[in-house]
Amino acid sequence: MIRLLAKTTLSAALLCSAAVLPSALVAQDVDGIFDVPDRPTLNFYGVPGLIDMPSAEMLPDGQVAVGVSYFGGQTRTTLTFQATPRIQASFRYVGIQDATFSSFDTYRDRSFDARFLLRYEGKYLPAVTVGLQDFAGTGIYAGEFVAATKTFSGARIPGEVKATVGLGWGRLGSSGAIGAPFGSNRPSFAAGSTGGELSADQWFRGEAAPFAGIEWNVNDRLGLKAEYSSDAYLTETGSNIFERKSRLNFGAEYQVNDAVRLGGYYLYGSEIGVNVQVQFNPKRPVAPLRMAAPAPYVLRPSRQSNPALFEESWAASTSEASADVRDALIPAFEKEGFVLVEARTSANTTEVRYRNNRHRATTISVGRVARILARTLPSSVETFRIVPVVENLAQSTVVLRRSDLEALETDPNASDALLAVAGITSATPNLAGSARNEALFPSFKWSLGPYLAQQLFDPDKPYRVDAGLQLDASYSPAPGWTIAGQVQQRLTGSIADDGGVSTSLLPAVRTDARQYSRGGDTILQNLYVNRQWKLSPDVYGRVTAGYLERMFGGVSAEVLWKPVASRLALGVEANYVKQRAFDDAFGFRDYSIATGHASAYYALNNGYTAQLDVGRYLAGDVGATVTLEREFQNGFKVGGFFTLTDASAIEFGEGSFDKGITFSVPLDWLIGQPDRRNRSITVRPVRRDGGARLNAPGRLYEQVRSGHRADLVGNWSGVWE
Amino acid sequence: MMKLVKRSACAVAIAGLLAACSSEQPEGVNLGKLLVGTVKGAAAVRKAGPAQKITVTPAMVANTKVAALQVNPEAFGGSDFLRRVTIRRDSRNGDVEIWQSSDNAHIFLREGVVVGTRGVGSDIIAADASYTQRALKTGKSTSGLRRFTVSDGDVTTTKMQFSCEIRNLGGEKIIIADQSFNTVHMRENCVGGPGGDKVLRNEYWVHMPTGKVRKSRQWVGPRAGYFELILLKS
Repeated sequence: MIRLLAKTTLSAALLCSAAVLPSALVAQDVDGIFDVPDRPTLNFYGVPGLIDMPSAEMLPDGQVAVGVSYFGGQTRTTLTFQATPRIQASFRYVGIQDATFSSFDTYRDRSFDARFLLRYEGKYLPAVTVGLQDFAGTGIYAGEFVAATKTFSGARIPGEVKATVGLGWGRLGSSGAIGAPFGSNRPSFAAGSTGGELSADQWFRGEAAPFAGIEWNVNDRLGLKAEYSSDAYLTETGSNIFERKSRLNFGAEYQVNDAVRLGGYYLYGSEIGVNVQVQFNPKRPVAPLRMAAPAPYVLRPSRQSNPALFEESWAASTSEASADVRDALIPAFEKEGFVLVEARTSANTTEVRYRNNRHRATTISVGRVARILARTLPSSVETFRIVPVVENLAQSTVVLRRSDLEALETDPNASDALLAVAGITSATPNLAGSARNEALFPSFKWSLGPYLAQQLFDPDKPYRVDAGLQLDASYSPAPGWTIAGQVQQRLTGSIADDGGVSTSLLPAVRTDARQYSRGGDTILQNLYVNRQWKLSPDVYGRVTAGYLERMFGGVSAEVLWKPVASRLALGVEANYVKQRAFDDAFGFRDYSIATGHASAYYALNNGYTAQLDVGRYLAGDVGATVTLEREFQNGFKVGGFFTLTDASAIEFGEGSFDKGITFSVPLDWLIGQPDRRNRSITVRPVRRDGGARLNAPGRLYEQVRSGHRADLVGNWSGVWE
Repeated sequence: MMKLVKRSACAVAIAGLLAACSSEQPEGVNLGKLLVGTVKGAAAVRKAGPAQKITVTPAMVANTKVAALQVNPEAFGGSDFLRRVTIRRDSRNGDVEIWQSSDNAHIFLREGVVVGTRGVGSDIIAADASYTQRALKTGKSTSGLRRFTVSDGDVTTTKMQFSCEIRNLGGEKIIIADQSFNTVHMRENCVGGPGGDKVLRNEYWVHMPTGKVRKSRQWVGPRAGYFELILLKS
């Protein structure tokens, strides 16, 4: 059983992050000030509900839930994200043993759910939610529902009682139907269809059946559930996967800790089931960041009381003063984990450009740089212009007045008050007349460490993994120029055991991945020359040439327009690439293509971002990718994307079009210590050749915007930390 | 034991992300430290329980040449002695003293009331305590609002507002390092915060002749809970 559960990667990856949650949270919130609000329990589909039936509840905003359930030979692993307070989305991976209705021993499938809360629960009226289950897959779980849930507490019964009634269609309307209110033309499930397309024409069609259930949370830990199911399990009982003797299900659940809940159940009069539910919220770091306090500002005496301190003759020559300031700042910056790139000063204003190698939040580095300047510079310098630089691209200029910093450090409204008087403006491409840190170029960096590569959802083996060593090296001869490469040595793994060959109707630009895995244990992932520079204060450019990614090499060029305070960014990328050889690190195959995109990025309110890319993809298909993402201010991101191109569903194959979900977890969220790295994962139900984009290294948008106004404001308190 | 296993397992999982040698100075995070830290921390807490408070003797105070503040964290246990790094007057009422601990954390006290912390974790970035200051000065029972900007531990903050009432519980003689002080004991009860139902309870012992808060028990943020603060030498 445990093996069964652990097999599915989503759960393995997420259960672990959840396992550290409880100890961290319990230990670190003495008064329960940041306690999670009440959250609903999950059903066997990993969404808020009873046992096998849904309820009308929503998770707290932003919540991530992982449910792993098993009964009657069926394992379901579900990842659910509360994208907005009213909208909830889920991705599910199922395995059904001995499924005689398909050609595999274990039938495996992926599905997506979406739910919308129609009304919040009121004093007298229940919450009402409408939901679509498996709305775009092969449809084995296809069903729709409307459910209402009301919570009762007080009276003579301890704890709280939640009662749910609902009406289901499709699978959820297959037992005890009361008629077909919206028509009866609903096709039945057919194993082996490509799936993937929205099955809007069958939503809420066919027979509808009522379901109901009660959840009694006796206390904070123990919960009891009973339900009347409207699912006949026609496909499963038809294949003798299990026997359905009753439509009543019963269960008991136990809240192990803040994150984990376990349940045991008796289902359909014949089966014992288990359910592991894990929930966490990206808004709450696993380990809260803790850093040594910065040295407080030393207040300068007033100019009237000590005019000599403010005399300005030290800056008579800009170049000499700048060089002196640079020499004084370099070691001080180094101590804080920053690298001074250049400095320019007059008697009243100092501009510094620096790299921040330590903190994820740019504002922490801005605040600590300001403190270094206040400690180091003569009293006559009143204006600090602080410019974070990433890979030769000056991101923005944060203008702070020294007297504001001194006055506001202990103010009751320190963050907002400082933001009100701070300036965040664009940075010129270069700082004329500055004193540069001459020791920066040329520079050579390397790192050697383990790597893990995974391949998901192969029907024969849903989880394959490779592990080995990875060597990264980069050489920067001059500002903006980088020569970089990555070599991997596989030590163990099973990805190469995948013996299949591509049967794609499109050029095999991605489905040949296994050929590359079989090509050898030493892998040259990439090796390229990259140049980045600013064309103007708001326009950024990049040119990259070489072996860009494992499967393609060539030339890639990009231009991005992104003003510091703008919600909108526009970009163009053009590439000419050739497919790389399977087994020869430096060779190429015959296939080559010109591919590229025009992109628009827009930051909506509350951390939601939208991205549209229109252009030609690697297989020569033309179309567009839509990406929606929610980025929490702490850098945690959850998103989804889909690509529609002129490649037909038949040409594309299983899944009909490319789609997937993305997760990005900042490491400081996980470990509570300053760190700039993050861990990203993209999960596609199936990876085919249509809608495939080149993975060019060094794409500009994410790099550029991390120092722009929206991100700085979101983490503004960092200037005081 | 479960906790230990879980924490260790996750340290190992995170280790995969961090275990690498490189030409760069490791920035802050050290894999070994992280692993040993979690295991040792869990084991030590199980074995020993929280550290003991230190009782200060008059000799210790006499030997101290600078201002000193004893801090006894309730949740973490143990004691620390803080030194004052600065006193400043800003545009608000009352001077702010910044005190530094042995592990580089700071506490901001405005006339003895906590208005900020740094390096404690889930820090109070800023706070308004003007009504509390007035009450401590006059010794009068009163009520008012307290506002905190508290770090969520991920470079974002939550603003919290509490409605409080402070009561004069009468005179009380307290003894600090064998020296006795005639103080007024004030107790502050607050309700509010996110959800509006969180409770804070601060206590102050004010030496009226000097107006100094000699001893107090104050909330210093969601991670640390309450600290007992004893002014040994000012």
